[in-house]
Amino acid sequence: MSHLLEVRDLAAAYDRTRVLHGLSFDVAERGITTLLGANGAGKTSTLRAISGMLRREGQIHFAGRPIGRLGTEDIARLGIGHVPDGRGTFTRLTVEENLQLGSVIRRDTDVIRQDMERVYAYFPVLQQRRLQQAGTLSGGEQQMLAVARALMTRPRLLLLDEPSFGLAPRVVRELFNIFRQLNQEEGISLLLVEQNAALALSIADSAYLLETGRIVFAGTAEAVRQNDGIRRAYLGS
Amino acid sequence: MTTNLLSLRVASQHLLAPVGIVLASMALPAIANGFVLFQATQVMVFAVAILGLNLLVGFSGQLSLGHGAFFAIGAYVAAILMGQYDVPYWLALPAAGVVAFVFGLLFGLPALRLEGVYLALATFSLAIATPQILKLSVLTPLTGGSPGIAVSKPQAPLGLPLTDDQWLYYIALCVTGAQYLLARNLVSSRSGLAMLAVKEDPVAAKAMGVNLSVYKTLAFGTSAAFNGIAGALSAMAVQYISPDSFTFYLSASILVGLVVGGVGWLPGAFFGALFVLLVPNLAEGLSKGLSGAVYGAILIALIFFLPSGASTFRSASLLRTRRKP
Amino acid sequence: MELFVQQLVAGLSTGTIYACIALAVVMIYQAIGHVNFAQGEMAMLSTFVAWQLMQLGVPYWLAFVLTVVLSFGMGLLIERTLMRRLRHAPPLSQVAVFIGLLLMLNSAAGYAWNFTVKPFPTPFGTGPFLGASWISQHQAGMLASTLAILAALVVFFRFTRVGLSMRGATSHPVSARLLGIRVQALEGLGWGLASAIGAVAGMLIAPIVFLEPNMMAGTLIYGFAGAVLGGLGSPAGAVLGGLLVGVLENMAGTFIPVIGGELKLTLALVTIVLVLVIRPQGLLGRKLVHRV
Repeated sequence: MSHLLEVRDLAAAYDRTRVLHGLSFDVAERGITTLLGANGAGKTSTLRAISGMLRREGQIHFAGRPIGRLGTEDIARLGIGHVPDGRGTFTRLTVEENLQLGSVIRRDTDVIRQDMERVYAYFPVLQQRRLQQAGTLSGGEQQMLAVARALMTRPRLLLLDEPSFGLAPRVVRELFNIFRQLNQEEGISLLLVEQNAALALSIADSAYLLETGRIVFAGTAEAVRQNDGIRRAYLGS
Repeated sequence: MTTNLLSLRVASQHLLAPVGIVLASMALPAIANGFVLFQATQVMVFAVAILGLNLLVGFSGQLSLGHGAFFAIGAYVAAILMGQYDVPYWLALPAAGVVAFVFGLLFGLPALRLEGVYLALATFSLAIATPQILKLSVLTPLTGGSPGIAVSKPQAPLGLPLTDDQWLYYIALCVTGAQYLLARNLVSSRSGLAMLAVKEDPVAAKAMGVNLSVYKTLAFGTSAAFNGIAGALSAMAVQYISPDSFTFYLSASILVGLVVGGVGWLPGAFFGALFVLLVPNLAEGLSKGLSGAVYGAILIALIFFLPSGASTFRSASLLRTRRKP
Repeated sequence: MELFVQQLVAGLSTGTIYACIALAVVMIYQAIGHVNFAQGEMAMLSTFVAWQLMQLGVPYWLAFVLTVVLSFGMGLLIERTLMRRLRHAPPLSQVAVFIGLLLMLNSAAGYAWNFTVKPFPTPFGTGPFLGASWISQHQAGMLASTLAILAALVVFFRFTRVGLSMRGATSHPVSARLLGIRVQALEGLGWGLASAIGAVAGMLIAPIVFLEPNMMAGTLIYGFAGAVLGGLGSPAGAVLGGLLVGVLENMAGTFIPVIGGELKLTLALVTIVLVLVIRPQGLLGRKLVHRV
């Protein structure tokens, strides 16, 4: 069975500094994979490499198609929704305009309208703040907006970069429930980068541990949880 | 023992060029005629102006398309003091610098609130408005209005066998040298380092207690002072100033000189000044009507192929000396 | 009182000139996030092209349309060849390139068409508008055209996909890319549109200020003042700002003795600095809110 996302020997660099040294991992169809690791391990760089935002080498296949040579816009159009670290909301535009931009390249206007309603159903607070300038939203709300906006592109795979960063625990729990729902009800695969390992492992089925640009452990979420060494280093027990 | 010899060799390699240049420039009047000296003086004038702008752009990270205004202020102050109040030139020069400094501070204050494109816009407007301000009838009794003012050239002190051109050349040389050293010291002093910190990361600098506003305003004032002194020198060299000598083209030239010389590299000012003074003549030689176009094209080509200007070559020599075992 | 109204209206009509340029400036700013200092020269060149076409016997409206299309192409070309490569250059380099462009265009126009002042025809007629002595047919036409362009732009940015994409692309180009938006292509489009608007502005202004390579020098600054006053992010603001600057300039010139006709440029300068310092988003721009 081939995976939705297959990455082999991925290497990447910022200018002349190499940050990834030959990563290989998969994300299954309808699966949730998480990349764990400390600051600077290369997790964000991995997502950026997949989205074509860095110079990269290696093979990346999405739904069977090679995407290692494509530009960011083309990769996004193939169905990969990347929610970057720092949210990247269009702060000067309204919430609704942000969402509209998610669907701006699509042609199916009726379905877009339905999608908008579904997205508001997942994130009612966004509907309340529809006409507000995105920059006035709280951190948690902006994170939701960023995810909602990515959903409007009808992605098959969502790349989530540290979605829990800077958010209150209650908001984080809400958000991760939604992630689980998106995966189970909409069939969207998730590649989740998180520093909060326990949280990530609570919804993931497979996990990879990164250290300075290399994968040092790969396995099911359960296996990672059981591993004493990792537990002590990353899960604090 | 070997380290001492090595450091001596390195030091001498570093000093060789500058000392050589200084000696050569001091000897220039012996072999050059009045016109060449005039050109050389103009190069130095522009170098000082570019140095000033470099302090602002390269070291405090602000932007200015309007430094011609301070150049003009210096020129007019010197001209008025020397012409109407019989102030000797060696007082008029620093006075020009001081007045320009004050105006620089005054402009630097609102400039604090402006960033990037906004600052560019504001200074651009300053440059364009300058000739008109100088023509104001309210100020005509002082400025002489549109026709402008004639400026007398400083005369060599009695006893020295120098022509006025040569004397002015030496004055310019001294002033330029002094300004260069001042710039060097400012840049490596504590205030200079503070300014660099401001430029690199304003938030961090602020967090560490560097008083942003003070430094940025001072940077503006200082760079204006440099341009004011340059303007005063220029007035003495050309012996005539009028509002239309200080159009946007002047501010643009100073900026171009900065880019060509390399932002953040002080010696680049001389390369920039040479470019600004010689290339328009070259362009006119190539095509009289299209000189502006040729100039613009060369400028654009430089930005694309040599964005750091002359400073791209500076590290080359450093590398060479470092690699030797 | 009559003097007041007269000057008010005179100010409004000069203001339409500024409004037109301000609109082009804002358009570029919306499209690429920069202020294009060579905007005036591009408009001037386009106007010369129109003039040349008419000299060759092309009727006015055809020449108008051709010029707009050619200007669109010029803007696109400039983006493709020059501006694209400057994406990652420091702001100083970008400004230097704009200046180089300015010099090139000015010099080229002077070389091709020399510096003598030429009259430029107006399609609106030169007589008084509807019999009123204080506004000519041309001025009325200018005002109407500017408002028409404004309306078209507002519709474009608010209600079309491309317009929205452009706003997103300038707001946050990386995020826009991640949504599949082709940011680079949009920049080209933005430059083309701005250049086209500039061409229209030039052709509208030329009958009044007469055609010569330096015709935009003075007016550009007022255009900037208008754009800044109205808010760099707002096309409606640009028009409002331009009109206001025209009125302000006229009123100040008439009623404040010291200023007279002399301080007009200074007034523009002061306006720009004051607005940028006190209220940088201008009258109609949206205030940028930052929640850290």
